[in-house]
Amino acid sequence: MEAILKQLPQQLVNGITLGSVYALIALGYSMVYGILQLLNFAHGEVYMIGAFIGWGVFALLAPQETLLLPAPVLILLMLVLAMLGCGLLGVVIEWFAYRPLRDAPRIAPLISALGVSFFLQNAVLLTMTARYRTYRTGLLIPRTWQVSAFGATISMTKILVIVVALVLMVGLRYLVQRTRLGKAMRATAQDREAAAMMGIDVDRIIVVTFFIGSALGGAAGVLVGLLFTQVYHFMGFTAGLKGFTAAVFGGIGNIPGAMLGGLLLGIIESIGSGFISPTYKDLIAFALLILVLIFRPNGLLGAKVPQKV
Amino acid sequence: MSTDFQFGTDEWVAQEEARRREAEAAGRLGFRLRRAWDRIDPRLRLLAGLALAALVPFVVHNDYHLRVAGFTGLFISLSLGLNVVAGFAGLLDLGYVAFYGIGAYSYALLASPHFHQHWPFWLVLPLVVLISALFGLVLGSPSLRLRGDYLAIVTLGFGQIAGILFLNMDRVNLPFLHLDRPLNITGGPNGIINVDDIRVLGYTFDNVTRYYYLILIFTALILIAIYHLDRSRIGRAWRAIREDELAAQTMGVDVRRLKLLAFSVGAGVAGATGVVFAAWQGAVFPPNFDVTVLIILYSMVVLGGVGTVWGAVSGGVILSILPELLRNPEMARFIFYGALVLGILFAFRRRKLSGLALLGGVILWGLAVKALLTWLRPAWLTQPQIPASIAQSFYAPLIKALNWWMVHPLNSQGVGNIAFAVALGLLLVAYRFKARFQYALWVPALYALTFVWETRLVQEPSITRMLIFGALLVLMMNYRPQGLFGQRRVQRQ
Amino acid sequence: MPLLETRGLTKSFGGLTAVLDLDLKVEEGEIVSLIGPNGAGKTTVFNLITGLYLPDRGDILFEGRSLVGLQPHEITALGIARTFQTLRIFTNMTVLENVMVAQHCRSKAGMWSAILRLPGFRREEERIRQKAIRWLSFFGTRLVGYRFDQPAYSLSYANRRRLEVARAMATEPRLLLLDEPTAGMNPHETQEMTGLIGRLRDEAGCTILCIEHDMKVVQGISDRVVALDYGRKIAEGTHEEVANNERVIEAYLGRKRACAKPGEPSAEPQTQT
Repeated sequence: MEAILKQLPQQLVNGITLGSVYALIALGYSMVYGILQLLNFAHGEVYMIGAFIGWGVFALLAPQETLLLPAPVLILLMLVLAMLGCGLLGVVIEWFAYRPLRDAPRIAPLISALGVSFFLQNAVLLTMTARYRTYRTGLLIPRTWQVSAFGATISMTKILVIVVALVLMVGLRYLVQRTRLGKAMRATAQDREAAAMMGIDVDRIIVVTFFIGSALGGAAGVLVGLLFTQVYHFMGFTAGLKGFTAAVFGGIGNIPGAMLGGLLLGIIESIGSGFISPTYKDLIAFALLILVLIFRPNGLLGAKVPQKV
Repeated sequence: MSTDFQFGTDEWVAQEEARRREAEAAGRLGFRLRRAWDRIDPRLRLLAGLALAALVPFVVHNDYHLRVAGFTGLFISLSLGLNVVAGFAGLLDLGYVAFYGIGAYSYALLASPHFHQHWPFWLVLPLVVLISALFGLVLGSPSLRLRGDYLAIVTLGFGQIAGILFLNMDRVNLPFLHLDRPLNITGGPNGIINVDDIRVLGYTFDNVTRYYYLILIFTALILIAIYHLDRSRIGRAWRAIREDELAAQTMGVDVRRLKLLAFSVGAGVAGATGVVFAAWQGAVFPPNFDVTVLIILYSMVVLGGVGTVWGAVSGGVILSILPELLRNPEMARFIFYGALVLGILFAFRRRKLSGLALLGGVILWGLAVKALLTWLRPAWLTQPQIPASIAQSFYAPLIKALNWWMVHPLNSQGVGNIAFAVALGLLLVAYRFKARFQYALWVPALYALTFVWETRLVQEPSITRMLIFGALLVLMMNYRPQGLFGQRRVQRQ
Repeated sequence: MPLLETRGLTKSFGGLTAVLDLDLKVEEGEIVSLIGPNGAGKTTVFNLITGLYLPDRGDILFEGRSLVGLQPHEITALGIARTFQTLRIFTNMTVLENVMVAQHCRSKAGMWSAILRLPGFRREEERIRQKAIRWLSFFGTRLVGYRFDQPAYSLSYANRRRLEVARAMATEPRLLLLDEPTAGMNPHETQEMTGLIGRLRDEAGCTILCIEHDMKVVQGISDRVVALDYGRKIAEGTHEEVANNERVIEAYLGRKRACAKPGEPSAEPQTQT
C-alpha cells in the first residue's frame, strides 16, 4: 500500500500528460460526431500521419546531431505543419469518402470510414515501411530539464505537451463559443437543415470542422512523438479507439466533455497500468469504453436526446 | 375510375423508377443475365456450384492452390455469418473476428497436447458453437441498447480485448490460486501448435484434399441453413428491423430478442468456422484473428452485396482468389492493365471516342515523359531486363512493351513513394474536378497510377492487397452500396 | 369494461407537457376520433398506448390490464396495432413481406425448424402467406397480384397508406390506432378510406381510435369524437357536439376569430412531414 501511495503522484502526472493527448484526439471525434453524427474511424490514422509529418520535419531540419533552427521554432514548425497537413487530409477524407454518403444508410459511411482507415494505414506502411521512426526529443529538450515535486518528476517534455494541449483546447473553446464561425458550427450541430435555411453554408462548416478536428489530431500526433519518441504505421488504430473512448466517456459531441474524458481516461489508464500490469493497459481502456457505453451511453456531460417518432 | 392514382407519388420514387428503367435500358446484358439467374431454382444453383467446387481438386494439382480454395470456403462461411449480423439485421459488428478466434482457440485448447486434452470433434464442434453463441449473447445483450454506431465501437473494443487476451494470456497469474508459476493458456505470440486433425467416425482428415471436401460440405451446410433462415419469419423480422426498427417493434417483432439471435447466429457460425480452421491449420496464432481479417470479411460482404446470401459467396470467391493472382507479378500486371483498360472503356461506354482518347493520352504522356527524361537526365534511369524465367511465357510481350514504355528510376523506392502520394492526389482531384477539360486531368493521374503500380505496388503484393481492400470499401460504398450482385436499396427520407 | 381506458395519463418532454391528465375511454366496437390542432398531443397519446413512450403519470388499461411498462411488441401481441402519420413501411421489402412481418407475433416457428424446414414450419409459413394476401385483398385490386413481389418503395403515397393499414391489420388487433389515415390523399381517395375504416370495424370486428384532421372524415366515421388541446381533453361527444363546442373552435381558430365554423374540411392546413 505504501508503495502504491508513493507511486501515485508520478502516475497522476503521467496520466495527465497522456490524457491531454487523448483529449486532443477525442476533440476530433467529438466535433465531427457533433456535426455529422458520423464516427470518423479514420481519425486515428490522421493522428498517426500527423506524427509522421512531425517526424519528417524534424528529420529534415535536424539532419545530424545539430539543429538547423532554434528548438522552440522547430517544435512550432513541426506542430504547425502537422496540423496543416492533417487538416487538409481530414478535408480530403470528408470530401471523398463521407460527403457522397451523407444521406445514405448509417452503416454506409461507417464502412467507408473503416476502408479509409485501413487504406491510410497501409499507404503509410507502403511508403514508410514497418520500421519504427524515432523522434530525437533529447536534441530539442534536454532530458535533464525536469521539475520534481511531491515525489513526482515532471520532465520539460511533459510540461510542453500539457501546455500545448491546453493552449489548443482553450483556443478551440474560444473559437466555438465566441466567434461567428463557432456560432455557425453550433447551429449546424443542432440541426443541419435549419442551419442551412438560416443561410449558413453547411458544407463549409463541415469542411472547417473536419479541418480543425484533424488538425488537433495532427498536433496530438506530434506531441505523442515528442513524448514517447517512437512512431509507426499501426499507432493510429489503438490511439483512435482510445480517443473515441475519451470522447464517449465525456459525452460525444460535447467539447468540454471530450477534454474531461481524455484527462480521466489518461489518468485511469496510467494508474491502471501502474498498479495492475502494463500489458493490460489497452484492455483497461477498452473495458472502460464498454462499461461507459453500457451504463452511461450519453457520457459524463452528454445530454439525453429523446427519440423522434 | 382508374385503379391507381399517381397523386402524391414522391419525387424520389419517380427518380428511383427512372434510374431503374435507365439501368434496364443501358446494361441490357447485365439485366438479362440477372433475370436469367433469378429464374434458376436456388437448389440448382447450389448443386451446380457444389459440383464445380468438387471438381477443383481434380483440376488443381498444387497443394498451395488447393489450400487457397479451402480458405475460400472458410471465408465464404465467415462472410455468410457476418452477413446475418451486418447484412440481415443491419448491426455493424466489428468484433466478429473475435468469435472466429474464440472458436479456433477453444478447439485448440480442447484438442491438442497443450493441455493434454484430445476431445472428439463431434463433441467439440457443438460445444464451441454454443460457447461462441454465448459470447455473442454476452456481448450483444448490453450493447443492443446502444445506437448503431456505438454498437460498432463497443464491438470493435471487444474484438481488441479478445486480441489482447489471445496475445497475453501466456503468463496468467491468478491472484487467489497461488500457482507456483504463471499459467500459459493461449501460448501468447507462439500460439498453440499440434492441434488435432478432425476425426469423424474413425475417418481422419489428414491431407489438403480431404480438408477441402470437408470445408466444402461445411460451407454448403452453412449456406443452406442461412438461406433457409433468411426466408423465414426470422429472416423477415431481421430485415424489418434493418429497415425500420421502430416500426418493426410496433408490428410485434421482439427487436431485442431477434438482434440477440442475429448476434449469436453470427457468432456461432464464426466459432464453428474457427474450429475447422484450427484443425486444418493444425495451429492457432493471434494474428489469424486481427483487424485485417475483419476488413477482408467486410470487403467480401460489401463487394458481393450486403444482406444477400449469394453476395457473400461471390464476394468470398472473388476476394480470396484475386489477391492470390496478384502474388505473381506478371499475372498482377496483366490483371491491373486489363482492369484499367476495361474500366476506362466501361466508364466511357457512351462516349467511346473520349475513352479511346484518354487511353491514347496516357500512352502518349508516358512516351513523352520517357523521351524527356532520357534526353535530360539519362543518369536517373535504368533499363530492367526480363527475367529468363518468363522470357518465353505468355506475358513476355506485355512485359517487354511495358518496360519500353515506362520510365524506371534508379531509386525506384524513393521516387515510387513520392509518386504514390502524387498519384493519390491527382486521382482525387481528377475524380472531383468538375470542369470542361476534367478528362485531361485523368491522363497524368492514370499515368501516375501506372507508374506507382510498376515501381511500388507490384513489389509489395501483400500491402497492395490491403490497399485494394481499403479502397474497395470506400469505392463500393460510394458507387455501388448494394454490391456487385445486390439490389439497389432505397433510403427512407 | 371499456376496451381501452387511460387514467390521468401525463407525459412531458423537458418543460413541454404533451399530454396532461388525460382520461380516455374506448368501448368495444366503437370508432373514436381524436382531433385537435397540431401539437395538441394526439400522436403522443398513440406513442404512449403503443409503449414507445413511458408515461410520467397515469395508467393505460387494455381490457382491464395495464400496459404501462410493457414493450411495444408485447402490446402488439395483446392486440393493439397502429399506423404512422409519417409512414413507416419497410421500404426495401416486398409488399407481401411487409404484411407477412406483421404476423410475426402470431406465429412461432423457431430457428431450427426454419433451418430444417420442418413440416410445421412449412404449414405456418403458408398460413402467414394466406393471411397476408387476405389483408392486401381488402383494398380491392390495388395491392394484389404483381404488386406482391414489388418493393414497397415503388408504391404511390396513397398505396403506402393502404399498405400500412393492411400491415397493422395483419397483427390481428382488437384495437386499431390510425394516425391520420387520409393525410396526403386526394378527396377521392379520402372518401374511399373513410368507407374502408367503417368496413374494418364491421367486417374485421376492430375497434378503432383514429387521429384525423379532415372534419369530413371525422364526421363520416366517428361514433364519438374527443378533442385535445395542449395535451388536455377539451371536449368529448358526437361529432355535432364537439364541432360546435366553443373551446374546440377557440383551440382551432384562436379566441378572436371564434366565429368561423370548424366544420370546414380545411379547418387546419394539412402539413406532412
